[in-house]
Amino acid sequence: MKRILGVALGILTAIGGFVDIGDLVTNAVVGSRFGLSLVWVVAVGVLGICLFANMSGRVAAASGRATFEVIRERLGPRAGLANLSASFLINLMTVTAEIGGIALALQLASSVYYLLWIPVAALAVWFVIWRVRFSIMENVTGLVGLTLIVFAVALFLLKPDWGALAGQLVPTVPGQETIWTYSYYAIALFGAAMTPYEVFFFSSGAVEEGWTVKDLLQERTNVLVGFPLGGLLSVAIAACATVVLLPAGISVTSLSQVVLPVAEGAGKLGLAVVLVGIVAATFGAALETTLSSGYTLAQFFGWSWGKFRRPAEAARFHLAMIICLLVGIAVLATGVDPVLVTEYSVVFSAIALPLTYLPILIVANDPEYMREHVNGRAVNALGMVYLVIILVASIAAIPLMIVTGAGS
Amino acid sequence: MRNTPVSAPAAKSRPRLAARLWMLAVTALAVLTACGGGTAESVSTAVKDSSSAVATARIALRQDMDGKLTRAATSTTLDDELKEVQTSRSSVLKLSPATPEDRDTQKQALDVLDQCAAGFATARAALSAGDGGTPSLADGDKALAGAQDALKQLGDKVGSK
Repeated sequence: MKRILGVALGILTAIGGFVDIGDLVTNAVVGSRFGLSLVWVVAVGVLGICLFANMSGRVAAASGRATFEVIRERLGPRAGLANLSASFLINLMTVTAEIGGIALALQLASSVYYLLWIPVAALAVWFVIWRVRFSIMENVTGLVGLTLIVFAVALFLLKPDWGALAGQLVPTVPGQETIWTYSYYAIALFGAAMTPYEVFFFSSGAVEEGWTVKDLLQERTNVLVGFPLGGLLSVAIAACATVVLLPAGISVTSLSQVVLPVAEGAGKLGLAVVLVGIVAATFGAALETTLSSGYTLAQFFGWSWGKFRRPAEAARFHLAMIICLLVGIAVLATGVDPVLVTEYSVVFSAIALPLTYLPILIVANDPEYMREHVNGRAVNALGMVYLVIILVASIAAIPLMIVTGAGS
Repeated sequence: MRNTPVSAPAAKSRPRLAARLWMLAVTALAVLTACGGGTAESVSTAVKDSSSAVATARIALRQDMDGKLTRAATSTTLDDELKEVQTSRSSVLKLSPATPEDRDTQKQALDVLDQCAAGFATARAALSAGDGGTPSLADGDKALAGAQDALKQLGDKVGSK
């Protein structure tokens, strides 16, 4: 019974924790401009993150060590540094975007200017990382983040023409857009679904919670059930924007636009629920990205790390996270639009993907670490297909950014 | 196992070079993505962005009148969208039109964007005045509807060029 409850809790937190500011903004932007014609990218991204998160969790469970630590040891400092540079910069951008996201959601709830909320949000993130136990932190934010299901509820309450919506699922470039903007947002959506921090957090989290090979079934269930259901939440966000914003000629540029379809369908109650969900989702993601920054740095330099240790026993790990939060505050204090930071962070995520996922694939095939838990043939074949997709997305991202003026 | 990174003196210049290349690439990217087209194209983009902002504000006002949106959310939405209009106005203002025709287009665009800003001012005043105050939310919506019509006309005109 306890095991079943554990699996259910894992699935629920995986669903609630799947959506972050990148998914919220990118799916709403895409829904408002391209309708549901890019949903196939969400499906491709969700399958990819399931594949690599599962691989990463298996590495942690089989070796008892976090993926990045193994990559650093197995591939050497140079490959580790390339991986660290790419993932750490993206992490830092994502930390900034998530803190900005918390502040924007709190502004929507209170009308107090978001810049005033930024230090509060960052302080709260630091406090939770410093004081709250890993499992409580992960479960509470994941479960409260589940309230984002209100997007799906609002979609039903909006009573859309389901046939017309289903008709939009065919991948086509809408008349007012170009193939270049379509491709650019396809890459952004892919980057949002496959953000590198998710796998580093997932594998380091497995070590924090002391997973062993006995927990592999639970890990697999969490990933293979929780993430696809989380992906459905992303589709619901895009569908809400498609139903309410697209016909009005609105292109999403702010978080306030993202919540309008929910208010339209579910009124003030829906608005209250969605704001709680957005705060929980961005707060949870801010915790994960901040921790990921600490994990990657500590695992590369061989510092003592982990929330299972007292802060005094992992001082550099905690100091690194504090510095990351301060950098995030400093960037946001310049007045840069957090939504813009989010949009850039998901595209840069796509650029950095090969440096993150290739090493995971190599390590997951090393019997020295994995013993009998190395990748099977089917997983390797799918992994190779994804490496090609990731490489294409990574190479095309910057030229498309230039050609489309960052999607404008 | 505790790992320490290898540091060879010859390799020290590589990260520095990589950092410079990275900075150069980011700067080039920023410049290239900021580069725009001619007056008509820039005005067209400004009209499109402002139309989106005005349409958003009208939905927010309607939802507020229907009791679906809180005052805090309506106020934040209006602030966000006014910022969008101001950004568009600023980009049109910075244009350097070369022909009399382009100068005329720029002037018309600035007039219409000013009308949008005035519509937002009425809407925000209505929100501050509260229920039963003057101007009312309906007045704000009316002012924004006028701005939306003007934007549509300008958009059609610029688009036909």
